[in-house]
Amino acid sequence: MRSPFRPAAPPDPAILDDHRRLIRSLQRRRLIQGGLSLGALTMLTGCDVRRPASVQAALLAIRDLNDSLQALLFDPNKLAPTYPASMVLNPPRFNAYYDVMKVKPVDGAKWRLELSGLIGDKRPWTVEQIEALPQRTEIIKHVCVEGWDYIGQWSGVPFRAFLERVGADLSARYVGFHCADGYTSSIDMASALHPQTLLATRYGDDVLGDPFGYPLRLRMSTKLGYKNPKWVTAIEVNNVRPDDMWDKPGYSWFAGL
Amino acid sequence: MDKSSPALSRRRSRRLHPMPIRVMHWINAAAMLVMITSGWGIYDDDVIVRGLHFPQALRLGDWAAPSLNWHFAGMWLLVLNGLAYLSYGLVTGRLRERLLPIRIADLVKTVRDTLHLRIAHEDLTTYNAVQKVLYVVVILAGASQVLTGLAMWKPVQFSGLVSLLGGFQDARVVHFLGMSVIVGFLLVHVLLSLLVPQTLWAMLAGGPRVGPSGHGEPAPLP
Amino acid sequence: MMRLAIFLPALLLNTSALAQSHTPGGMPPPSGMSLAQSTAMRFPQRVRVGSLLHRLVIRPVESQTVLGRVVQVVRDGDGTIELVVAYGGFLGIGSRPIAVPIDATVLLGTVMEIVAYTPEQLRHLPTFTGAGTTPLPADTVLRVGLAKPSH
Repeated sequence: MRSPFRPAAPPDPAILDDHRRLIRSLQRRRLIQGGLSLGALTMLTGCDVRRPASVQAALLAIRDLNDSLQALLFDPNKLAPTYPASMVLNPPRFNAYYDVMKVKPVDGAKWRLELSGLIGDKRPWTVEQIEALPQRTEIIKHVCVEGWDYIGQWSGVPFRAFLERVGADLSARYVGFHCADGYTSSIDMASALHPQTLLATRYGDDVLGDPFGYPLRLRMSTKLGYKNPKWVTAIEVNNVRPDDMWDKPGYSWFAGL
Repeated sequence: MDKSSPALSRRRSRRLHPMPIRVMHWINAAAMLVMITSGWGIYDDDVIVRGLHFPQALRLGDWAAPSLNWHFAGMWLLVLNGLAYLSYGLVTGRLRERLLPIRIADLVKTVRDTLHLRIAHEDLTTYNAVQKVLYVVVILAGASQVLTGLAMWKPVQFSGLVSLLGGFQDARVVHFLGMSVIVGFLLVHVLLSLLVPQTLWAMLAGGPRVGPSGHGEPAPLP
Repeated sequence: MMRLAIFLPALLLNTSALAQSHTPGGMPPPSGMSLAQSTAMRFPQRVRVGSLLHRLVIRPVESQTVLGRVVQVVRDGDGTIELVVAYGGFLGIGSRPIAVPIDATVLLGTVMEIVAYTPEQLRHLPTFTGAGTTPLPADTVLRVGLAKPSH
């Protein structure tokens, strides 16, 4: 039975936007409090400052502040350096939050790309339909938060063209991704519309391999590796920030390069 | 003496390390420790010197994400404090006064004296040539850390800076070398301050009073 | 029969290789599994022999200790493809060539890892002389398994 406390209609997400200033000032207060306790704790010798909740909260608040700065620094027209095909690493480097043996290949014939949120035409897409769209190739660097990088050749549909094609609200704030392995990621709309952001289906001269996200992954030159979800099964356009797997454990959400 | 000039006598009463210098020194010490130990946590996920891996006990942050967050929080403290220090040093003339000139002959003499175990530290108010070189090198290393750090943080937005450094991996290597220089300096700096404890006390309490030129006759410690 | 010939030496090598690594990335082959079977689980990728040459070979540990460099890829008398690694020494000086089955190795981006042997076992491998083996030309395409970083 439905709880009597639960409203018949869910609250409009726009409420968040209306009260953004208030939320900001609350966050700012948390930052100052946290920052002070951080400073005070650092001065105390012999005190383990690595774990207390207030320190963690302060670190996350500063991280979010840095994310705002990252968004300001992001130039939507600035292209990442590109490289000659002779520098492409083949095969590409594998990474995931689990070992390669745990990769579960996706059946391309049964696969569908679901769409939700602020999108006009939400009909799902098949692999063939996506491959029939105009393609673009980018030879760009993949930079991992761990510090390594490699040059890869990715081909697919420019994400901007795809979003326009399905009638997405390009003035919305966020785009979210769901993946076959349970991974989630979300990005800001400005980065989604960057000319080098692709829904990639190919690497080098071949169809994307199973460990690298077959049949579809996001590849963007302007964000760290973990913002490039593999095995994408659903895309959502929203003004409320969609789930992001690495946000809660502590990595930067913006993760811009 | 010189009671006719109150301005001068006020300047005469200046300490070797005025309060702002002491405050900025200890903020910098804390910021550097945060940057170095959190940097080691970030480093460990993809080593630069194969075989070199920092144990958890030396790292700030249980794993990469908290280490990164410490690093990008400490960054603000380091940069803002560093800018304040450099501005103060330039405006008051302290940087030029304390660190310049550096003469090769002095450098050779100090090295020779040191090798003969004649470490002159009775006069805290002047730096010998080796000290001057070390302080200049560590200030430059700090500035280099900020630049290479920026390059690694925003290799696309600041792609010009990255290509100036030779590439993303080269920026990482230079950043690592900068850390090594700073850690090396820190070891010598801390060791010497423990060997000559007056220097440590001076950085806490201010040290002897110095004349307007900064080279005045040492006064007894308070 | 040919398949059995490849399988048997691999199995023998395999049994003693399991006691080592505790790292999540370049994990050793699971218990009771041949090298070939474990490679099959690591999504082996097509790779040119030429692109394997000169690659750094490291241990699957966090410190990424260097074991050596790939100097040659050969096929031995049994048909097993082996990686010849200039093993040990310092900065390539004082190293000696050893041969490791390619299925004991994985690709980690631009470098390779030996996942199925401990450093102790590698030390006891005989020095590679080339006898009874055929070098593979640079444009031969092989399949090599993948790994993620070990941490």
